[in-house]
Amino acid sequence: MALLEAEDVKAYYSTVQGYIRAVDGVDLSLQKGLTLGLAGESGCGKTTLMNTLMMNVKPPLHLMNGAILLDGKVISKMDRTTLKKNVWGVLVSTVPQSALNALMPTKRILDFVEDVITHHMNVSESEVLSMAKKRFEELNLPVEALYMYPHELSGGMKQRAVISISTLLNPKLLIVDEPTSALDVSTQKQVLKMLMDLRKAAIIESMVFVTHDIAVLRQIAERITIMYAGRVVELSSSEDILYSPKHPYTYNLINAVVTPEPEVRKRGLTSIPGEPPNLLDPPKGCRFHPRCTRAIGVCRSVEPPLVETGGGRLVACHLVSPGA
Amino acid sequence: MNPFIRFLARRIGFLIITFLTFLIIIFALPRAIPGNPLAALLYRIIEQQQTNPDLIKAVHKKLMEEFGIDRPLHAQLFEFISRFVRGDLGTSIAFYPRKVAEIVFTYLPWSLGLLIPAAIASWILGNLLGALAAYRRKTRVDNALLPVFLTLSQTPYYWLAMLLLYALAVYAKIFPLSGAYSPTRLPSLTPAFILDMLHHYALPFFSIVIGAIGGWAIGMRAMVIYELGADYVTYSDSLGLPDSKVLRYVFRNSMLPQITGLAINLGLILGGSLVTELVFSYPGTGFLVFRALSTLDYPLIQGTFILLISTLLLANFLVDLVYAYIDPRIRTGYVGD
Amino acid sequence: MIPQIVKDLFKIKKLDVSLAVFIGMIVMSVFGSVLYPVDPLYMANPPESPPSKVFPLGTDSWGRDLLALLINGIKSSLSIGVTAALIALAIGVLIGVISGFKGGLTDSSLMLVTDVVLVLPSILIMMLIAAYLKERNPFFVSVIIGITSWPWVARAVRSQMLSLKTREFVYMSRMAGLSDMRIIIEDLLPNMMSYTFMAFVLLMSGAMIAEAGLSMIGLGVTKGVSLGIILYWAQLLEAVRRGIWWWFVPPGAVLVALAASLLLMSTALDEYFSPRLKGG
Repeated sequence: MALLEAEDVKAYYSTVQGYIRAVDGVDLSLQKGLTLGLAGESGCGKTTLMNTLMMNVKPPLHLMNGAILLDGKVISKMDRTTLKKNVWGVLVSTVPQSALNALMPTKRILDFVEDVITHHMNVSESEVLSMAKKRFEELNLPVEALYMYPHELSGGMKQRAVISISTLLNPKLLIVDEPTSALDVSTQKQVLKMLMDLRKAAIIESMVFVTHDIAVLRQIAERITIMYAGRVVELSSSEDILYSPKHPYTYNLINAVVTPEPEVRKRGLTSIPGEPPNLLDPPKGCRFHPRCTRAIGVCRSVEPPLVETGGGRLVACHLVSPGA
Repeated sequence: MNPFIRFLARRIGFLIITFLTFLIIIFALPRAIPGNPLAALLYRIIEQQQTNPDLIKAVHKKLMEEFGIDRPLHAQLFEFISRFVRGDLGTSIAFYPRKVAEIVFTYLPWSLGLLIPAAIASWILGNLLGALAAYRRKTRVDNALLPVFLTLSQTPYYWLAMLLLYALAVYAKIFPLSGAYSPTRLPSLTPAFILDMLHHYALPFFSIVIGAIGGWAIGMRAMVIYELGADYVTYSDSLGLPDSKVLRYVFRNSMLPQITGLAINLGLILGGSLVTELVFSYPGTGFLVFRALSTLDYPLIQGTFILLISTLLLANFLVDLVYAYIDPRIRTGYVGD
Repeated sequence: MIPQIVKDLFKIKKLDVSLAVFIGMIVMSVFGSVLYPVDPLYMANPPESPPSKVFPLGTDSWGRDLLALLINGIKSSLSIGVTAALIALAIGVLIGVISGFKGGLTDSSLMLVTDVVLVLPSILIMMLIAAYLKERNPFFVSVIIGITSWPWVARAVRSQMLSLKTREFVYMSRMAGLSDMRIIIEDLLPNMMSYTFMAFVLLMSGAMIAEAGLSMIGLGVTKGVSLGIILYWAQLLEAVRRGIWWWFVPPGAVLVALAASLLLMSTALDEYFSPRLKGG
């Protein structure tokens, strides 16, 4: 059984001008022990999907359709209080994009940790302290940091402290939001290593890694989902996505990234002309067709379904036949 | 040096500079009036207050001595400051021969008794209401409260005082018409007197509180709305912390700038309450200032203002102290962004 | 024909309401003396008479027509408010611009001065200065109010300068060799226009209230009428205790309406000019 399952999920923002269809029919499944990369341009809906997957859905965002199952439980039917008590922090946790301001500025790290732990578990102050110390030590963070205020820590330390706090209660699923975009290369490496260590030490079981930087996903994800305009266009193993992308969008996305891999570099550098579509009123047919260099007639009128093309690959493109 | 102490030292330094600036203004003003030599001016003022010609001469002589008019400016300044340091603020003209310092200290406690509780009460209530409006932003509660706060913040305390006095004391006769206590009673610590005093205290107190709430509410509302969008709120929320806890975080962080705001607005509240005292004939420094200004009793004007400013600066410092203690960023030397 | 910005502004409900109230008052004061040509200082009417058909707002203890007094008072309060606001704006913007642009020692010393003036309560300083002036004409009163209300404007303008200074278009101008003065006038000031206007509105509202406060203590203009002076006479003649409500209720209400509508206007302008970055 998959740890995380999303069935035909539609999440829209209600605005004065109508519904912004940020996530428009997404199916997803994540097995235990794996990391799923969630990639796409800004505005493709990956952040909304990320929030929806843990059911952090507050107006103006609404879950219009679909179900989310986490560890067998139908979390899409739970109310906010139940989610806060039993799911968030405990079953699924997030690591926010900007750790710089994620921690409560006027509380010591330890005090914040205490608030989080005691809300979910009934433990004493000393137990909280030992839990926090143990976890910090396991993840190579100085224990003294616990007694400091957020502004006393460096950027890299803050990011790692946030990761530690998010995983304190050993959530099965960790959703990480662009953890490397605001960091320099050496800190990026530290953070990635930390995330991989967490999985190795079985502190977390699975991870969803949201990013626009595909190069990073190669190091940490087994499977990658490519999103475009609120829909999944390709979902496959990282190998497949990076070395033999089938969807035109994926293909262009890989080529837009400069990596030292000779394979990838051979294909040359291309950027994708045009802009992502307006999600208030997406184009008919395949959403990528206005920017696709290989679009054919049917692409303009019929939306391609996401189909299995063998070997655990899923592609949504008219040019790719099922089973190919 | 401990950052906490460094912060306080800087604040004390600043407050001392401010105080000295004020002293210089007070010193220079009467001596800067164009065309009117101080001596002649003082003589004319005294003439209006006293009728006995011998007494007039005596008062004039005393004042000349205190102002040091026949001496060069720097000597006058020195005289002024040394007298001040000794606690001698001169002799009043209108209340001759009482010393200014003694007069002010008779009236000051009544003002402080009104001002301090009213300032604190309005600050607390205003912040609570503002936070409530922010939390219920764009709902009926907020939409109803905001215009009320807006209007209240622009309503002078003394006009509110007039309205309250008319409605509740003249028309409805629930509260007394004037003073701090009934003229038939003598100040004592008996429950009867205290009750009577509170009865007289109510309207002036509420005039200031209601008048000041609006401003705090608007400020707090804006702060809370801003804080609610902060990253730490989203993160704490996503870790499952209950809404009540997250709100407490927000309030805690929103309060800090409000404390600074209290220090800044103390002057405004002081000024407003002085005029409010007039409406109620409340025997505080407001009455004293009014009397001194209308009789041009310069020593009394000077003394009252100096003591008021001193009290204000002291209060400022106390608020700074509280702030420095509460905000951990000051304690750890965070310079800010 | 009408610039888009004006059209957009009029769509904001808050702005419409506040403008309506405020302009209503101005019209009342400007045309009031034409439509209601009563001499406010004429003292031979029956004293202390309640509102009636002949005297819509009644008369005071000296038999003066209160509606006439009110109309003239509004004019006076408004003009002192505008003048004081302009003075405070000029000082505040000047100091803020210099301080923010120059930085360094100039900045620190100017900010020290600003902080000192900020802490010293303006009412008390105003009272002090006013007390030493025998004759107080409206301009003098405006000046007194103006020179004590500018600190917050200076601080705000300075922050704006500090952030604008680092923007690219300023960098370009410097590269092009433009003088400091030209950079200030051509690049920086136009970007602060919206804030300056808002600050003016707020200053005006504060100035009117300050004038009323000074008048209540007897330190307002020595000749003439203003809303605060009407209240001062009411207080002096014990209007409250004697139940002469028509003397003190209207002037205060009009003052609050004027100040509150100005505040609402500045809030609406603020919301329009500074888009919310998060939420909303």
